[in-house]
This record gives sequence, structure tokens and C-alpha cells, in this order.
Amino acid sequence: MTFARGSYRTVVVGAGIVGLFTDYHLARAGGGPILVVDRGFLSSGASGRNGGGVRQQWETRGTVRLARESVQTYRRFGLEFGFNIWFRQSGYLFLAENEGELARLKNVHALVASEGLPSKVLDAEGIARLVEGIAPGATVGGTYLASDGTLYPFPAIWGVYEAVRSLGVEVALGVEVLGVETRDGRVAGVLTSKGPVATSTVVNAAGGWSGDLSRRAGLGVPNVATRHEILATESMKPFLDPMVVRVSDGLYFSQSMRGEVIGGLTLPHRPGTSRGVGSSTAFLTAMARALVGLLPRLGAVGVLRAWSGFYDDTPDGFPVIGEDPRLPGFVHGNGFGGHGFMLAPATSRRIALAALGQPTDLDPAQFSPKRFLGPSPVAAVERLQLG
Amino acid sequence: MVGEPDRHFSFRGRPRSARDGETLLSALSRDRLPLLHRSIQYHRPQGPLCGIGHCAGCLVRVNGRPNVRACRYEPASGDSVTTENAWPSPTWDVLGAIGLITPGGVDSLHGLRRPAMATRLYQRFVRRLAGTGAPPTDAASRALLTPAVERSSEVAVLGAGEAGRAVATAFVARGIRPVVLERGLHPPSVAGAELLGATTAVFLPPPPEAGEHRFTLLAFREPAQGVRIDARSVVVATGGYDASLLFGGNDRPGVLTADAALSLAAPPRPPPFHRAVVVGGGRRAAEVLEMCGNAVEAVVAPGEIRPDVVRAASDRGILLYPRSLLLRAGGRKHVRSVRLRARGSGTETSLACDAVILAHRRVPHAQLFFQTGAVMEWRSGVGAYAPTVSANGATSIPGLFAAGSVAGVPPSEFARHAETVVDSVVRGTGPTGPAPSPPREGAPTELLGYYRELLRVPGHGRWVACPCVDVLVSEVERAVRSGYRGIEVVKRYSSLGSGICQGRYCLPDALLLLSILEDRPPSEVGYITQRPPVVPTPLAALASLSTPPAAEILP
Repeated sequence: MTFARGSYRTVVVGAGIVGLFTDYHLARAGGGPILVVDRGFLSSGASGRNGGGVRQQWETRGTVRLARESVQTYRRFGLEFGFNIWFRQSGYLFLAENEGELARLKNVHALVASEGLPSKVLDAEGIARLVEGIAPGATVGGTYLASDGTLYPFPAIWGVYEAVRSLGVEVALGVEVLGVETRDGRVAGVLTSKGPVATSTVVNAAGGWSGDLSRRAGLGVPNVATRHEILATESMKPFLDPMVVRVSDGLYFSQSMRGEVIGGLTLPHRPGTSRGVGSSTAFLTAMARALVGLLPRLGAVGVLRAWSGFYDDTPDGFPVIGEDPRLPGFVHGNGFGGHGFMLAPATSRRIALAALGQPTDLDPAQFSPKRFLGPSPVAAVERLQLG
Repeated sequence: MVGEPDRHFSFRGRPRSARDGETLLSALSRDRLPLLHRSIQYHRPQGPLCGIGHCAGCLVRVNGRPNVRACRYEPASGDSVTTENAWPSPTWDVLGAIGLITPGGVDSLHGLRRPAMATRLYQRFVRRLAGTGAPPTDAASRALLTPAVERSSEVAVLGAGEAGRAVATAFVARGIRPVVLERGLHPPSVAGAELLGATTAVFLPPPPEAGEHRFTLLAFREPAQGVRIDARSVVVATGGYDASLLFGGNDRPGVLTADAALSLAAPPRPPPFHRAVVVGGGRRAAEVLEMCGNAVEAVVAPGEIRPDVVRAASDRGILLYPRSLLLRAGGRKHVRSVRLRARGSGTETSLACDAVILAHRRVPHAQLFFQTGAVMEWRSGVGAYAPTVSANGATSIPGLFAAGSVAGVPPSEFARHAETVVDSVVRGTGPTGPAPSPPREGAPTELLGYYRELLRVPGHGRWVACPCVDVLVSEVERAVRSGYRGIEVVKRYSSLGSGICQGRYCLPDALLLLSILEDRPPSEVGYITQRPPVVPTPLAALASLSTPPAAEILP
């Protein structure tokens, strides 16, 4: 297979949810011709490997707003894109195990509520009403936002994929980008495993592989790919509505539309994508202990499958959005730290604007690639890098 | 081993009894296969298919524990067994109306989106229908808590079938005491070895450092005891299993694999069928005729029928239908007939029967090799992926060996091959060069031609491609028509293979189906990455195991 053209206005690297949504906005803004390349098959990266959580509870105003906007897109998704993503707004529940964690969650609550979202602080009894069978004493309280929810990631990918194809975007799967060609200090093309392509703009939406891509373009970036594992149990009749997240260890789980309990836990994996997307005994045993400890009745439930995917982590936990000042034409849309699906609809609009050379409303101190280039340490840090 | 009825339990509130050492499925299959289960979406009557703990067909609830496989559970006196996901009962299930009013299936990808204000209602409704059993009771989960078994051993042998026993015995002869894991509930002991019966190996990750002989294997012993084995070498002798086949009504009660038929008809029990149709004309069909030929009405084969099967059949007056398409199994709640079409002449025949026994193809149990990251190859003779194995059983992972049929070794060679494998393990020999190519049986190139003819049969779109998730053939066809290619993407698009058997029964056929629909060889349709665990493993079992230091085992 070769490409339909030799030259494109924009080449987007990564056909995950961020790359595809970016194509969608670029194509609608008349930014074509557009080529999107992906090293794997559709849904092979983190967009096809996540737990489907979409939440608006964050530690900074900027992120809360992007998340709120994304929720609105997902609510309309079925009508706009023709696929049913089963976006079920049945809430996100953050659990605190001690007063310190609860105080932190209360700060999140205050911020989220100040943005007009009806977040609630719950005590242990309120939580026990939401999570049937929770072990006594497992939590001192938490926060809950009913309009957060979960969706089924695959139809979201198919929906945006089919939409961009009908807008004339060319999608090349199984194609790896080997390098970025420059002329006069700006992007002139990309070299792919299927040959060279001329372009003036490259969007790096490569998720777990975005750090590698930037470095292939000669740009030092702090993005680190970290493997995160996840499992699904056998399906059961519905017993749990919200997504439950525990602050202390990053335990998160929800019960899907199909009745499976799907969730994960944060473990200190070695960084890098080279060791693949397998599972580990450490995860299976630690996750099982965490789930059974919190919900003892789940002990008799079988684990159906386990898998893993890559988070594209940044030092401060915020995504990187905008043109790289060191290489004009190279636009970042990465560093989502496991939250690409939650934030893609809103951030992709800004990534598309940046690719078109237009200004965005994002705070550069929080989202711009420039923030890692100066000598000063980054300003804010998002610590709710879970669920 | 099977004694007088001495275990008294209740099934749906009525007293039943089982003999000592008998499974619940066997106890409920006195005269014919029972209807215990309804399919997950359309509530079609679904029967026990596999008999080895993989499919959804015999899931029941026992003492408040959901999704218990009746074929893997031996009832105790006082047990309370009920059925799941059917109201009021699997025989008369009101929700069966869903399947009747939507014969072409429900399109959950595109449907139920409008009007937007109704989505919450749709979600609540669909969610209520999802899931098999109700969640376990606290008591059921607590009753499963058992201290784990953790062992460190020079070698672990996985599987105590003919090949695994030969390997274990050869180790003992060299003064090594292997730990042997066997799924069977009552395996005979292997002198000098530590045998863990009723134990299924579920996860074998690659060693933490490349080239290092150090495996950590997770397993569980029925019902929910965690097992962890640390071993320097692992010999996998997991054998194979009988595959399913695509035809109308292919998960109707009465349709079962040869694995299930042979275990349910094992003496002294009479087989739970009287007029069975056996599908397949090879070695496996011969085994079925040998054990329960008196209850077989006809042998139907996609291709030719081997002379020894012909002889065994004619001795018993069994009808033979070589080179025939199996179009469908008739009967609402139990198989009552099959419809056949001769592949040359196109002549159609109906046969009255009470069971369809699938003995046409056996595929390797290769999931553990996938997990270790061993180099796999497409074995065209069986139409499935299996590890690339050298003549001495060595795989691409140092210390990981394959023996028996999973290594492509014919049964007549098991004993000799076991000696070679064990010598190589003891001497630390690596791969020694390619193994002789395994014999071809039930060749899927032929099945490919078979399926090509089958896909021209009108109405095949309504056949079930994936019984666990109720995916119809038309949904797979639609995925390919919409431009989604390759098993990985079609699987995610259609949900095929994402149910309780994790694709063990639908994916071997789906590969052939996609090969035809995408017009490329099955080996190019892609790889099926089978995820751990090999079979659903209770959280209680995993939770009881100690976690090694993260730095040691986290890749």
C-alpha cells in the first residue's frame, strides 16, 4: 500500500481517539488534505485498552473545563456520529481512606462545584448506599459527581473513524513514522515505513509512542510511556452504578453495560513500550486483593481476562498541546497520562486549532510544550492521575 | 470411582441425587442433555457444549455462587443449585421473546440512540438484561477462602494426560520430582511426582529477564484455591480440545463436542443420548464410536470418512454421510433432527436424532504459550496457532518446552518424545532444529472449502458465530463490509470472542470465516492474542496468593 498523494497539508500520527478527533476538527475546518498514520490496527493502542471512564473531577480549573466540554460531546455522540457508545452517566466516586485524603478530595469538590457541577461530599454511610457490599471501615468518605460516567470505547473509535473517512481524511494503518524531515528549521515531511510524505504540519497524537516520535524528530521531551494493567470479570447482573476510585492506590473499577467489573490499579512498572502489553502476576494478585478487600462478595467472581496499555505520562500530569517552539510545524497533542479518552473531544479542538496556526484558549503555563523548556519548575501538578 | 447415589442436593427446589465422584452436569444428564442456560442477549435455549469448563452452556448458581460450571462441579449433599438468567426457568423463559421479535439480531452499535432523551431508559433496560448470574452472596465468597498452595520446584509439568504422564514419569526416572498440574477432577497419581488434580494453570508470564530460567506460574484448584508454582523449567502438555462448527442451531441443547460426549458417556453411566449424529470422519470420530457407538445413528463428515470409521460404523449399522454440509440442527429446545446437504449432488436429507457430536477437528490448547510470548506459528493442518517447537520440544523461550499433541506429536510418539524432552530439560539443551511436520487431520484447507459452500446457504446470516455473546454471522459480515479487517478489529467491532469462553470456540471458525470474507489466507487474517487467565479464575484464588516484590516481576 502506498499513500493516495505525495503531499498533505497535515499528517496526524496516531489513529487513537485523540488523533481521530483532531482529524475530525481539522477536516471540518477545511484543513485538508489530511493523512493519519498509525503503527497498529484501529484500537490497538490505549484508546482500545482503557476502562471507559469519563470524569470531570480534577484538581485544576483548566482540566475541569476541558472535561466538562468533553462530557457534552459524548452526550451528543450517538446523534452526531451514528454509533451508540453507551455513555452512562452514573457517577464517579472517589474514596478516601483517611482524613488527609478526604481533605484533598474536599478541595477538588470545592473547585468542581465552583464550575457549576453538582459534586457532593459523602460520608461512609453515603458511600455504602452507592456501593452495595463495601467492607465496613474501608473508607472515611469521598466525593461523588453524578454526571461523570463510563462509555464503551470501541464504538467511539468506529464512529469518529467513519466520520473522518467520509470527510475525506486518508487513514493508513500499520504504518510507522520513522522520522520527521525538516527544511529551513521547520517541518517539511515525514519518513514512514511505507515511504516519504511531504507535509508542512505534523501532529503528534501517538499516545504511548509520542515521546519516541518527538525524539525521532530531534526534540527532547519528558513524555514517558508507562504500562498500566486492567482486568475484567465474568458478567453479573447490575449491582454497581458508579465508577469507584480509591485515592491511596489508584484502584478503580466499574460495572460495564455488559455486567463485567472492569478495573485496574497503579503499580510501579518500568517505563518504556518495548516490553509489550502483557499482564503480570503482581497485578493479578494485587488487584484481586484490593477488589476483594473492598468488596468481599466479589471473591467468588471469576477474572475473565486481563490486559494492559500505555499511559503517556508527563512530569506534571497535564497533556501537552500546541506547536513545539523548537520546530515550527510540529504540533503536540499528547501526554494525556491515561486520560486521553476523557479529554479528547475538547482538547482535539485546540490541537486542530494549533495545527492550523491559530491561537487557543488554553493556559500555556499548564498545557503548552514550552512549559518544559524553561529553567523554572512547572507550576501546578495534577495528582488525580487515576481512574 | 463413580458409586451409588449418595449425594442429595436440590435443583431448582426439587431433590436430586448424584453418585460419589460425579459432576453436577452428569447428574443432571440422566437421559438427555439438560437445558440449564439461556443465551446472554436473545435468550435462545443453549446447551452444554464443551464439557470441559469453557463454554456458557452449563452455568448454574450453587449456594449463592454464580457462574458455576456444572461440568466442573461435584455436588455435595445439601447443595442448592438454581439456574441463572432465565425467568421463570430456562425451559420457559419469557425473555426468549427478545430473540423471537428480533430474528436478525439487535444492533447495539448503531441502535437505541434516538430519541436522545430516551437513552437513560434504554441503558437501564439493556443493563438489566445483561449479565449471567446475580452477584455472589457474601457467604458464598467467604466460603471459598482457602490458604493458597505455593511451591518451588525444579520442573512443572502442565497436564497429566498421556503425554504429561510420560514426561512426569521420565523426570522421576532421572531422580527429579516434578510438580504436575492436571485439570481433570480425579487424575490417577504419577508415582514419584507431586500431582495437583482439579488444578488449572491459568497464567504463565515470560521470565523476568530474557534467557533466565525462572517461571512463576499461577493456577487455581477447584473451586477457588490459589496455586503458585515457581519452577526453573516448564513442560506444557495441555493437549487439545474439540472445536465447534458453524451451522444453524449450533448451540442448541444436544449439540456437544466429542470432549463432552466422551466424558458424559464414560462407563458405567449410559450416554445422555440415544440417536446421535457424529460429525467428523477421523480419529476422534472413531473414539466416539468406540465408546458409545450403540447410541449413534449416523456419521456425517465434511470430507471423506476414514476406513476404520467406516468399518466401525457398518458393524453397528450406522449410516454414513461423507462429504456433507451440516446445514442446521432442528428442534426448539432440544435437538430433534439435522438437515444435511451432499456436497457433490446437492441432495438434502433430514435425519431424526437427539444429539450432534462434534468430532471433526481438534485444536491445540496453546494459550499458555501465547502468554509467555513464545514464537507461535500457524499450523495449517489444524487451522490454529501453536508454538514453534523444535524436535526436542524446546520453544523460543529458554526453559519452556512443549510435549504431546500441543507440540504436534502424534500419540504413538508420546513416550519416545517425552524421553527426548526430559533429556533436553535436564541437560539444558535449547532448540535443536525444526520438528518433523505434524500429520494433517481434519485439514482446515478442506474446512475452508466447506465454509465457502456453507456461506452460500440462504439464511446463514442468522446463525450464531459466537454463542457466548450471541454474535450472528451477519454481524461479522457487516463488520467486513464496513471496512474493518483482520481478526483483532473485527473481534472488537462485533464483540465476537469476548464472552465467557474468550473465543476458544468461536475464533477458530471465525478465522476461516474472515479468510473467506476478506479473501486472504487465514494466516493473514491475524493473530488472536489470548489474554490471561486461561479460564475464569476466582478473585478469591488470586487474592490468596503472595505477591512477589514488584521490582522482581513487573516488566
